Amino acid sequence: MGLKPKMGDLTVQMLRALPRIGLYNLKPILGMPKLSKRGRGQHGGDKHGCGNKGSGQRQNIMRPGYETGNQPFYLLFGNEPYYYRHHLRRQYPPLSLLQLQTLIDTDRIDVDRPIDLAAICATGVYRFFPNIKHFGINLTDEGIDNFKAKVNIEVQWTSEPVIAAIERNGGTITTAYYDPHSLFILKDPLKFFERGEAIPRRMIPPQDAIMFYTDAKNRGYLADPEKISWERFVLAQKYGYTLPKLEEDPDYEMLTERKDPRQIFYGLEPGWVINHHEKVILKPKDNELREYYQQ
Amino acid sequence: MMNLRILNRLRGSVVNVLRASRFSSSVEGTGAKEINTEPNSRPIIDPDVNPLMKTRELKLLPKFSEPRQAWIETLNCIDDKIIGLTTLHPEVFGVGPRIDMIHLNVKWQRNIRYVSFAHAKTRHEMPGTRRKPRPQKGLGMSRHGDLRSPLFTKTGGVAHGPRSPTPHFFVLSIWERIIGLTSTLSIKHAQDDLHIVDSLDIPTENKGYIQDLVEARKWGPSVLMVDVPDLMPRNITVATDEIKHINLMPVYGLNVYSMLKHDTLILTVDAVKRIEEKILYQLNRIDKEKVCGKFEIDQ
Repeated sequence: MGLKPKMGDLTVQMLRALPRIGLYNLKPILGMPKLSKRGRGQHGGDKHGCGNKGSGQRQNIMRPGYETGNQPFYLLFGNEPYYYRHHLRRQYPPLSLLQLQTLIDTDRIDVDRPIDLAAICATGVYRFFPNIKHFGINLTDEGIDNFKAKVNIEVQWTSEPVIAAIERNGGTITTAYYDPHSLFILKDPLKFFERGEAIPRRMIPPQDAIMFYTDAKNRGYLADPEKISWERFVLAQKYGYTLPKLEEDPDYEMLTERKDPRQIFYGLEPGWVINHHEKVILKPKDNELREYYQQ
Repeated sequence: MMNLRILNRLRGSVVNVLRASRFSSSVEGTGAKEINTEPNSRPIIDPDVNPLMKTRELKLLPKFSEPRQAWIETLNCIDDKIIGLTTLHPEVFGVGPRIDMIHLNVKWQRNIRYVSFAHAKTRHEMPGTRRKPRPQKGLGMSRHGDLRSPLFTKTGGVAHGPRSPTPHFFVLSIWERIIGLTSTLSIKHAQDDLHIVDSLDIPTENKGYIQDLVEARKWGPSVLMVDVPDLMPRNITVATDEIKHINLMPVYGLNVYSMLKHDTLILTVDAVKRIEEKILYQLNRIDKEKVCGKFEIDQ
């Protein structure tokens, strides 16, 4: 048995037997879409496929749904708006634990630093569009059994098993809200820095999201830290694992690093202007400005 | 013109015979040591020059295909002389060619600057009167209201005729262009129409020299020579200046249309490196979304 020919070799073999490919023997492949032309001949011409007389030829077709005087079908029943305001609801495109583990294994994410939306967007793999009401990451439980990383991650939505999986490995998780303006900035920080604007304050969550982000069970960023540590213990009891002690961890500082509720980037405060070109940070000195950004 | 064509065909057939004889060694032999030294395939490596047998370090190699190989030749003498062997990236010089993409690229290059100025006047643009040519009834003749109707071939206008200017401009995405380039380079390499030389230096300014060289090596009448800088060596520039079918081109001008227009493509070693670098960057970039945004139709 000889070696199996490789995919490229078969093509090469065929090409060597064929005449030289040049401008003179190029053709589009069969099935390429063609522009339709207005025919003049026997079957393309004449009425051009529109038939003789009537609404077909004159193109005065009835409006959709009209049934020539009958009660139209669409008016027989009441309106049931299943998707009412659907386009205004907050969407959280999913990121599974399997994908997160893969991103970490392929060195697209650095585990030695806290992971936030900006870090995940920078991988270029996560598809995220704030302009169509995407409000951040929904970390899902797919691949939960194979998740081994110890991370400090900040997501926008998640579920209880995911929180348990991360905390069992000695990591920490936070759910945090970002307003659309902050999301655009987080998606492409470099583009924002090039504009030369001051980093804005992060807005507080809207009314219908405030319960989620103040709940310690969801590890909300507005929840009481003491309640969170209690909930960590409760979850460990519920899922039956021993909670690794954060205080004894060598990465304690990294794992407990949190953003201020008004902060968008780790280490950068609202009001600062980042000059990416000259690698300079400009901080406001005016008291009025400072007060504004610290509110 | 006719003679040239016949000549070209004859040459093509000779090249085909050579191809067939050389095929077995080049596909099966993958190691650098297995060099085919049959007399009818290639002359023996020049013993005076140290052969450049080093394999280049190729970046971003795919898992399941091996690097291609190509001889390094020289333009220093008229005879076919090999001075080394080099490896080519399989993603650039050894892909399964997409003929449809090549066709699309050629169509794009032809049409992007083409504006059709064919123009026909409609009935409203024709000169003449709008008077009814004859009474509706009573003459026993056909009914007409206007002499400018398209039924009248002399005085009437044209219905659905060509209108000027009609641009044929369209945008080909960067990915389609890359597929076109890699496919064409792979085809050129597979059909033995790609030759790699150490540099474009020739010993003389005489145009007969380059003509003899092309003739002796059976490089077909038309040859495209590609190097990295756009300022080429003086000798080759002067020698090819008056020969219209032997052309020089910098790497940044390399395109599908020109490669197909010329029978043979000559690349310098530096040009090969540069082409690989540029194409591999495009093939492996991660900001696809940002780059593609420009080419989306429904923005």
